[in-house]
Amino acid sequence: MNHRKKPEQEARKPSLVPPYLAGLLSLVVPGLGQFLARTYRRGAILLGSFISLVGLMIWRIQLAGKRVEGALEIIQKAYRLRPILIVLTVLMVIFYLWIAYDAYLMAKRTRGTPLGLIFMVLIIFFIMGWQIGDINPVALVTDLDEAAGPLSEVLWPWERAVTYPEEEIIAIMPIQVPCTESDPPDVPDYGEGEPRLEAEPRCGQLSEQGGETGTKITLHGENYLPGKTVNILWEDPIGNEFRARQGGEYVKVVPDENGEFTIDIVLPYRLLPPSATEPSYIWDLKARQVTSLGAAQASKELKLAIEKIIETIFIGMMATFFGVIIALPVSFLAARNLMSANKFTLIIYYIARGVMNIVRSIEPLIWAVIALIVVGLGPFAGIIALTIHSIAALGKLYSEAIESIDPGPIEAVQATGANWAQTIMYGVVPQIIPPFVSFTIYRWDINIRMSTIIGMVGGGGIGFLLIQWMRLLDYKAAGIAIWFITITVAILDYVSAEIRERFV
Amino acid sequence: MLEVKNLTKVYDDGTVALKNISFTVEDGEFLIIIGLSGSGKSTLLRCVNRLIDPTEGDIIWDGVNLAKLEGEELRKARRQIGMIFQHFNLVRRSSVMTNVLSGRLGYSPTFQTMMHQFKESDREKAWQALERLGIEDQAFKRADELSGGQQQRVGIARALMQDPELILADEPVASLDPVLAHSILTYLERLNQEDEMTIVCSLHYLDLVQRYSTRVLGLREGEIVYRGTREEIRAMTDEEFQEIYGEQAQRVTGGLEGNLDEFGLGE
Repeated sequence: MNHRKKPEQEARKPSLVPPYLAGLLSLVVPGLGQFLARTYRRGAILLGSFISLVGLMIWRIQLAGKRVEGALEIIQKAYRLRPILIVLTVLMVIFYLWIAYDAYLMAKRTRGTPLGLIFMVLIIFFIMGWQIGDINPVALVTDLDEAAGPLSEVLWPWERAVTYPEEEIIAIMPIQVPCTESDPPDVPDYGEGEPRLEAEPRCGQLSEQGGETGTKITLHGENYLPGKTVNILWEDPIGNEFRARQGGEYVKVVPDENGEFTIDIVLPYRLLPPSATEPSYIWDLKARQVTSLGAAQASKELKLAIEKIIETIFIGMMATFFGVIIALPVSFLAARNLMSANKFTLIIYYIARGVMNIVRSIEPLIWAVIALIVVGLGPFAGIIALTIHSIAALGKLYSEAIESIDPGPIEAVQATGANWAQTIMYGVVPQIIPPFVSFTIYRWDINIRMSTIIGMVGGGGIGFLLIQWMRLLDYKAAGIAIWFITITVAILDYVSAEIRERFV
Repeated sequence: MLEVKNLTKVYDDGTVALKNISFTVEDGEFLIIIGLSGSGKSTLLRCVNRLIDPTEGDIIWDGVNLAKLEGEELRKARRQIGMIFQHFNLVRRSSVMTNVLSGRLGYSPTFQTMMHQFKESDREKAWQALERLGIEDQAFKRADELSGGQQQRVGIARALMQDPELILADEPVASLDPVLAHSILTYLERLNQEDEMTIVCSLHYLDLVQRYSTRVLGLREGEIVYRGTREEIRAMTDEEFQEIYGEQAQRVTGGLEGNLDEFGLGE
C-alpha cells in the first residue's frame, strides 16, 4: 500500500528546477527533467523506454540499410526499403518532444496521468514488434492457395492408406540381331489363355546414330487386359532392360476390347561393345501390362504409421512409469513440511527442489538430443528424455501435494488410538492418492503428446515418420501420421480428464 | 475420573501454553472450558489424549497416568477417549462410512485395516452411530459433500465408534451457525446424560456455556482464572463473563433461544 503513495509524496516537494529548464534538460537527456522535478520513477521509466527504443531503431535501420557506407546513406536506404521505419522515426520524435513537455508539466507540479505517454510507448513498441517480427498478413491471403494443395492432402490423406496388389501381365518375344543365315530363335511356348506375342520379322538391324533407322518390327499381342496400357520394353543381350522409345516418347499401346494390339517397333540404337564378336545376338522384346487387382490392402505408410503410433504410446507409458517410480521417493525429499526438521534435511530439500527446477526448465526435446548421444537413435532415447522431464515435473507436483496435506485428519485418526501404519493408511494416503493419481494421469497424457514429437529429433515414435514424410513433401503420408497423432491425443485427453474427474 | 495435576506445556519456540494447571473432572460431568483463542484450551485438550506431549505434570485417567504412557499402552488409552474437532478433521475425500469406521482403528488388527476390512460388528456399529446422528442416508457420500453440521455429526459418530468413556470436544461448534451449534451440543448432551459419557468441551459463547455445562473452567494465558458450578454459571451476567475473558465476549444466539423448539432442539 505504502509504495503506491510515493509519487504523490514526491510531487508535494517543490521541483529542483524551474519548469522551462526541466523541459530543456529533458531535451538533452530524456527523463532528466523529470528527475530534477523529483518524479524519479517517471524519469527512470521514460529514460529506459527511450534508450531501448533508440537502440532498437538503430539496429533495425542498420539491418535494413545494409551494404552502403555512411550514416546518411544507410538511413536513406533503410527508409526506402522499409517505409514503416519512417513512421517509427516520426513517432520517436513526437515521443522525444512529449518527454520534454512532460518534464515541463512535472516541474510545474501539474498533476498529469502518464497514460498518454504509456500509450505512446506501447504504440511504438507495437509497430517495432510488427517490423521485427516481419509480420505480413497479406501473405496469409495471397499465398494461401499454394498451401491449399498440401493442406487438403494432409486433411484427407486416406487414399494413401490403401493399396491394391499389382499383377504383371507380360509376354516376351526373342529377336535375332542382326539377321543371319541361321533361323531366328524359336517362338516361346505361350500357355493357353496366357498373353502371347507375334512379331514380323523376327530378326533385324539396329538403328545407327544419325544414320539409318533400324528394322521395323510389327508386333502383335493377344490375351492382354482390354483398355489398360501396355508398355513395350527391350532387354539387350547382356540383360539391361529399357523401355522402347520412338520419336522421343516411350512406346505404349492400349489393347482393344479383345485384349489385342498391333504396333510397329523400330529396333533401337545401341553401341555394341568391341568384345561382341558373335555373328548375332538375341534381344528380347517385351510387352508388359501392370494392373492392380483384388481387394484393397493397408498401404506401407498406414502400417508404418500404426506401428509407430503404438510405439509412441508405449514410449509415453514407459516414461511415465519410470518417472513415477523415481519421482515418488524424490517428492518426499522435496516436501518442505517433511524436510524442515533440521538444517541437514532442509539442505536436501533445497537441492532436490533446485535440481528439479533446472531439469524441468530444459525441454524434453533437448533431453532427447542428449540421450541420443548416449544410447543412439530409437525409442529408448525418447523414453530417457521423457523420464527425466517427468521425474522433475511429477516430483514437484507430488511434493506440493504432500505439502498441502491437512494435518487435521491425521490428528483425528491418531486420537482414535490408531497405530502408525493405520494413521498413514487412513489419515495420509487418502489425502495424497487422489492428487497423485491425477498428476500421474496428467503426466501420462503430456508424455504421449510429447512422444509424438520427440521422434523428430530421433527419439523414436511417430514423430520421426512425420518429419521424414514432411521433408519428402509426401503430404498424404504425413497427413496419415497427423491424423493418428490427433486421434490418439484427443482420446487420451478425454480419458485422462474422465479419470481425473473421478478421482479428485 | 480425570485428574489433571500441575500440567505445564512449553512449546519448542518457548511459548508457554499452560502454566501449572490442576483440576478434576468427575465421571458424568459436562465440563466446559472457556477462554479466548490462544488461552490454551486446545493445548489442554490435546494434552489429555497426548496429541501434544505435556512438558510437566500428570494426567490421571482411571488410575493411569496418561502423561507417562508410550506406544501400545498410549494407543489403548486413546481408544477410550473420543475427540471432536473444530474443523471436524474428516478425511475429506473418503466416504462418510470410512471416516466413521476409522474410529474403530484402535480396536482392529493392523493388517486387516490395511485392506480396509472391518469386522461385521464394527460395520453394524457404524450404521447405528450414523442412525443415531441422523445421517445414515449420507453413509456413502464423500465427506466433503456434506454440510458443516453433517460433517460434525460424522465427527461425533467417529468418536462414538471408540466406545469412549471420555469425549474431548475442541470448540466443536466454532465453525457452525447458531442453530447447528445447538444441534451438535444437544447430541453431546445426550451422550452425557443417556450414555453417561464424561465430556470436556471448549467453547466461546456464554449462552451455550450456561445451557449445557455442569461445570466451567475459565482459562486465560494458560492459567485457570475461573471455576464455576452449574448454578454459578447460570447466574453469571455478560459483564462477569467478559471479565473472565478480559475482552469482548459474545452471545451466539441473541434471542434465538426462544425459537429453538421450532427446530426440535429445545430441552
